Amino acid sequence: MKLFDRSVPKKPDIGALKARNDSAGLIAVLRSGDFDLRTEAADALGALGPAAMDALVKALKKRDRDTRLGIIEALIRIRDPRAIPALIETLKDDSSEVRWETAIALGEIGDPQAIGPLVQGLRDHDKYVRYGAAFALARIGWKPENDGEKAFFFAGMQEWKAVQMIGKPAIPALSHILSDRDSNVRQKVIEILGEIGDPDATPALIRSLGDESSDVRWKAVLSSPKCGINLMHLPRGLSRRPRMTKNPLVAGFLNFMLPGLGYGYLGKWWGIMIFQIDITATVWIFKYWGETNTYSTLFPIYVLLALHAYYIATKMQEPPI
Amino acid sequence: MSEGGKEPGMSLGRFLAREKPDIHALTQARDTRGLIALLDDRNFDVQWRAARALGTMGAEATPSLIHALNHLSINTRLGAIEALGAIKDPRSTGPLAALLASGESAELRWAAALALGEIGEKAGIRHLAKSLHDEDRYVRYGAAKALEQLGWQPENDGEKAYYLLALQDWDGTKRIGKAATGAIISLLKEKHSATRARMVELLGSIGGPDATKACEFVLRDPDGSVRWHAVLASKKCGIATARLPVGLSKRKKSGPSPFGSALLNFFFLGLGYNYMGKWWGFLIFMSYMTLIVLAQMELGPFMPFVIAYPITALFATQTYVMAKREAEMAG
Repeated sequence: MKLFDRSVPKKPDIGALKARNDSAGLIAVLRSGDFDLRTEAADALGALGPAAMDALVKALKKRDRDTRLGIIEALIRIRDPRAIPALIETLKDDSSEVRWETAIALGEIGDPQAIGPLVQGLRDHDKYVRYGAAFALARIGWKPENDGEKAFFFAGMQEWKAVQMIGKPAIPALSHILSDRDSNVRQKVIEILGEIGDPDATPALIRSLGDESSDVRWKAVLSSPKCGINLMHLPRGLSRRPRMTKNPLVAGFLNFMLPGLGYGYLGKWWGIMIFQIDITATVWIFKYWGETNTYSTLFPIYVLLALHAYYIATKMQEPPI
Repeated sequence: MSEGGKEPGMSLGRFLAREKPDIHALTQARDTRGLIALLDDRNFDVQWRAARALGTMGAEATPSLIHALNHLSINTRLGAIEALGAIKDPRSTGPLAALLASGESAELRWAAALALGEIGEKAGIRHLAKSLHDEDRYVRYGAAKALEQLGWQPENDGEKAYYLLALQDWDGTKRIGKAATGAIISLLKEKHSATRARMVELLGSIGGPDATKACEFVLRDPDGSVRWHAVLASKKCGIATARLPVGLSKRKKSGPSPFGSALLNFFFLGLGYNYMGKWWGFLIFMSYMTLIVLAQMELGPFMPFVIAYPITALFATQTYVMAKREAEMAG
């Protein structure tokens, strides 16, 4: 951040920039490491009104995330519908914060042409974006056309009871949201699928048995019988989960070739200490005793270290299911 | 690469893109061994279909499947248990009960419990009732579900509490009252902290002298949220508020030891920080060791350490203070 700070004046005079209608200067301040300064710049850009629109829309393509966020903030203040096409594009931005802020902006501007893209935003993989899209749609006055859309909307609003009330038609929306990175959201979805209790939820539940989070897997087990899934199938489904096992051969080989790193591979923090001790010892034995003695002294130790790493890797227990 | 038919690239390609095995044909040919071999296929769908196909082969497949219960691959064993559960041959009750009582992995015991429920032999009840006390929640849950299938009824409130806890029926357990205390206390050793926290809540709502002792014990839980639940439940458990800080202070402190961190930094500067979870500890350690080795080239093997130790002693002191402060903040 300090590096970026050098590209803008030490203490940019926001008031002066605003007085000069210097939108380019204010946009440059949006990259500042100082949060308060960025907020002031965004406010000032917003206060410039429709006159700054062209510069702002053009700068929406800038690579810096903070700049894009600041511009959207300014566009929210200006509320000019001419910004809608550019904002709709930004709804596909790589940054979830930018997508979220865009959804909020589209809701604030309140133009109905944003409805389609915002409905798509309800299917975003990020809960913040979905939340923003749902709020924006409510603000524009959108009404879901069917139960499936309604489920996406309420899930976006985090109104899980309402999603549950929809019942079976909510299953596609819930299955889609299972791709959320937040394991708490996935747990909630699994719980609701269980409460709905329809066999249509089977693929989603079976998939969740292999989830990376042990809490999600457990919830999937509890919800499965409610959806008519034969419990007997669950252990196999659970066997798909990511396993945190270490290969004893790799641990042994590493410890033989680079003593200590085999322990590092097994997650032992002190492996690097052994590695460094070995390097130091090798250098000194080499210097005083010569090559043959170095190898004949150290190799038996390497073999023992390799066997030890192999042994502890085989004894390492897998974490609980 | 040439376009000849026998070059290694082609055979590797064929290996990688090999066709899916014809499970239907194997089933038609009653090829139990072939199907069992597919239970460990790298394709999950193939495993799934092979297990299902084996389940349709009837009692003739039972001996081979029982034999497969000793296979090295966990997937093969899980598939065999699943198929035995579908075949419902009473001959498999004994081997599955033995598996349930064994020290095998929790998922195998869980699958065995479920299969015993599917088979429906009353002989499995005794073993399943024992598994309600298993240390793993999956096994307990599987045993409870299997007992449900077998029409089992608990003989007393204590047994009922174990059964309801296994089914995660917290309200039902609460309704049992004091007779459930023993079962609840046994779950205070659960691996999952959320379950332990739930148990403290239950103890608080039930109360009684046993609950008091148990709540005191939980005040020393390694997990902060469980300790907090214990504090919240303590009043109902009958623990005087004034005793809580003392009870809490008895807990085993987790996290790196300040003395260990300091000692490590004294002898191997940087590793003490690494032990405390600071990633940059390695960086300091490697730089320190490089400096020592370079200095050794000039000053001989021991002199660099004579110079280094007074400096590392300062770092060790700073590390001790820092680790102590972090331990206090962690609570």
